[in-house]
Amino acid sequence: MDALLHFLPQVWFVILGLFLFLYVLLDGFDLGVGILSLTSSDEQRRSLLMTSLGNVWDANETWLVLMAGALFGAFPLAYGTILNALYLPLMVMVVGLILRAVAFEFREHSDNKKFWNFAFGIGSFIASLFQGFALGGVLAGIKVDPAGHFIGGMWDWLSWQSLLTALTLVQGYVLIGSTYLILKTGGKLQETHFKTAKLAAWTTLIGAILITITTPIVYENARARLFHQPEVYIFALIPILGMLLIWLLLQSLNRKQEVAAFVYTALVFLLTFLGLGFIAFPYIIPPTITIYQAASSPSAMVFMITFIGVLIPIMLFYNIYNYFVFRGKVITMEEGE
Amino acid sequence: MDILSNTVALSRIQFAFTAIFHMIWPVLTTGMSIYLIVVEGLWLKTKNPTYYHHARFWSKLYLLNFGIGVASGLPMGFQFGTNWAPLSESVGDFLGSILGFEGSMAFMLEASFLGIMMFGWERVNPVIHYLATICVAFGANLSTFWILVANSWFQTPSGGEMVDGKFVVSDYFQAILNPFMVNSFLHMFLATLETSLFVIGAISAWYILNNRHQEFFSKSLKIILAIAIFIAPAQVLIGHASGDQVYKYQPTKLAAIEAQWETVPAGESAKWNIIAIPNEKAEKNDLEIAIPQGLGYILEFKSKLSEPVLGLKEWQPENRPPMVGLIFYSFRIMAGIGFFLVGLMLWTTLQWLRGKLKAENIHQQKWLLRTWVLSAPLGYLAIESGWIVRCVGRQPWTVYGQIRTTDAASHLPPGEVLFSLTVITVLYSVLFVSAMYFGSKIIRKGPDLNLPIPGSDISTVIATESVSHIPDSRPLET
Repeated sequence: MDALLHFLPQVWFVILGLFLFLYVLLDGFDLGVGILSLTSSDEQRRSLLMTSLGNVWDANETWLVLMAGALFGAFPLAYGTILNALYLPLMVMVVGLILRAVAFEFREHSDNKKFWNFAFGIGSFIASLFQGFALGGVLAGIKVDPAGHFIGGMWDWLSWQSLLTALTLVQGYVLIGSTYLILKTGGKLQETHFKTAKLAAWTTLIGAILITITTPIVYENARARLFHQPEVYIFALIPILGMLLIWLLLQSLNRKQEVAAFVYTALVFLLTFLGLGFIAFPYIIPPTITIYQAASSPSAMVFMITFIGVLIPIMLFYNIYNYFVFRGKVITMEEGE
Repeated sequence: MDILSNTVALSRIQFAFTAIFHMIWPVLTTGMSIYLIVVEGLWLKTKNPTYYHHARFWSKLYLLNFGIGVASGLPMGFQFGTNWAPLSESVGDFLGSILGFEGSMAFMLEASFLGIMMFGWERVNPVIHYLATICVAFGANLSTFWILVANSWFQTPSGGEMVDGKFVVSDYFQAILNPFMVNSFLHMFLATLETSLFVIGAISAWYILNNRHQEFFSKSLKIILAIAIFIAPAQVLIGHASGDQVYKYQPTKLAAIEAQWETVPAGESAKWNIIAIPNEKAEKNDLEIAIPQGLGYILEFKSKLSEPVLGLKEWQPENRPPMVGLIFYSFRIMAGIGFFLVGLMLWTTLQWLRGKLKAENIHQQKWLLRTWVLSAPLGYLAIESGWIVRCVGRQPWTVYGQIRTTDAASHLPPGEVLFSLTVITVLYSVLFVSAMYFGSKIIRKGPDLNLPIPGSDISTVIATESVSHIPDSRPLET
């Protein structure tokens, strides 16, 4: 029984990580394309950018809904406390997501496309930035009482460290958005995004280096954890691997390799994510509440895992099928529409 | 301004406002998804291009509504954590699982196959496309199911008990199959379908009245009618069964619905108020216009009650639902619309049987068509009223009899909630106006009857038996 009480929250931690990772990766390029659309030079280009997302953005955003639902079910205490603490950034993020979602639909039917294009771009930017603030707020730690309830203030999430995280996340999204567009477009548009990808790779790298250096300096908890033996070797490995991947990414961009650029970017995301996971584990409300303290009852976890666990491969399958159906460059998607 | 500094009140207003706004959009998409299955199925079966054009035209409205539904739905789930953290913690074992199921089983299915349904006509073969349409509809209706499971459980919590302020579930299936679940789901399922049918019917009637595409839209009107003949009366019956359950499980809500202050003991006859002006301070109605013995007939089909009907005075004021008048009239609006739609359906069926709905003479039915046009918002109105009865009537409880609404809310600075409420109100108002504008734009533009039929060029790739027949069986229609 004790083993089970240990095992179940860990399984759910991994499932949540998977959902969150899929969200960040998939909606990440969505949001990145949105931010990039702000810099597009003309209407036709912007229209192509949005067409490249038409069939996938709904499903991509659903991973966020799913993540929230799973967090709620598996760790109700964490759901209440974290969302309570991050009230403002999350509400602003939701407003950003709403803006871009409806801009997407309205633009289709509107004569004033400029306005909705801007709403789409700015909505994407706001959503990305405030996701970054939320992430930064969680990493910085959430003030709770011994029962795990939030007792901090409404601006706790805002600090220069969380601003750094937010800006870096925006850069990361621009990077993956660019490499996605390299995959989906051709000609001049693709040329442009080889350039934006390179630029974003550098800015993301700078952000990542700053975060890596400042985190142990600013946060005592993180310092203790990061320099603990033997984990320190894993943690040291992550930035080294990260540098290597960015180097490979830049190489592939120079050689105009379409698929490799996207794959390396995805791997950078994965690596960063694993790094964050290692630092956070076993805390779900850093730095005090562990997954074991916040877990729902074992029966609830088993009940959920029986249904959702079976569905995960199925969901992955039909999501992949969706991408498969719409594979190829975006120009051809215009046929028949 | 007292309410501006009351976090609980602000959180309630915010939740009610988001819910009322959000609901509008999935109502149409959920019901319309079934209509889309019907027309696409008719196309596959008859190969008549008109059905294909129906599928394409109506799915435009589907996509618009879906987009706003997703967007406006995002704050719903988040609010459980942001504004109702104590509730989330105490019923998270159950509610969290159910919302997780809604996301993974239902919403993901709908969102993923929507891409293929909307943009995949030329990319997959018609059978796969049809499967995608079915998956979208199945996902949408499964969402209704899980949301109604969650909400019915709030009305009749079962399958476990409260231990130290936390609801511990002992039997998940009992909790899912709580007493309200089946009827509540059916009631809402029929409500989305009925609302969508009357919206599609109203738009079709509008085109016919304006002498546009009469043949095309008299077809959709008839498809609608053929389904509504079963749906509209079924809804009244399920509604009645739901009312019976309220009588049995939620006596405070029933008393509020009827604005009944005094208890009527068993063996006596009870009147049914058509109009009442409830006065909560004086604990009586200032004015009543009632049908004698009406309530007895409504609840038990006889003049004298065999069980007592409890009046609001049986409970202390803090245990009664507030806003009795709102609950009283919301219920009457909902039920009235239910009957009205049955009447409209019967009238139209009669004209159909008399041969008056043929494409060449249907435009003579001016008043019938006008009534249809006017019925477009009625389903929405009935649904919103019904939910007001359901959720305001459940007060002062969030989980009926277990958790009070005041104990369920997060302790937030009121300014924080006021800020989000203001932003949401402004944003949603803009959305509503824009959605009406773009929706009417799609409608004014009308269907594109020249869209090429998919299938001919991809039939070689898939080589299914049905597709290769297309060129021969296409009727010569314009």
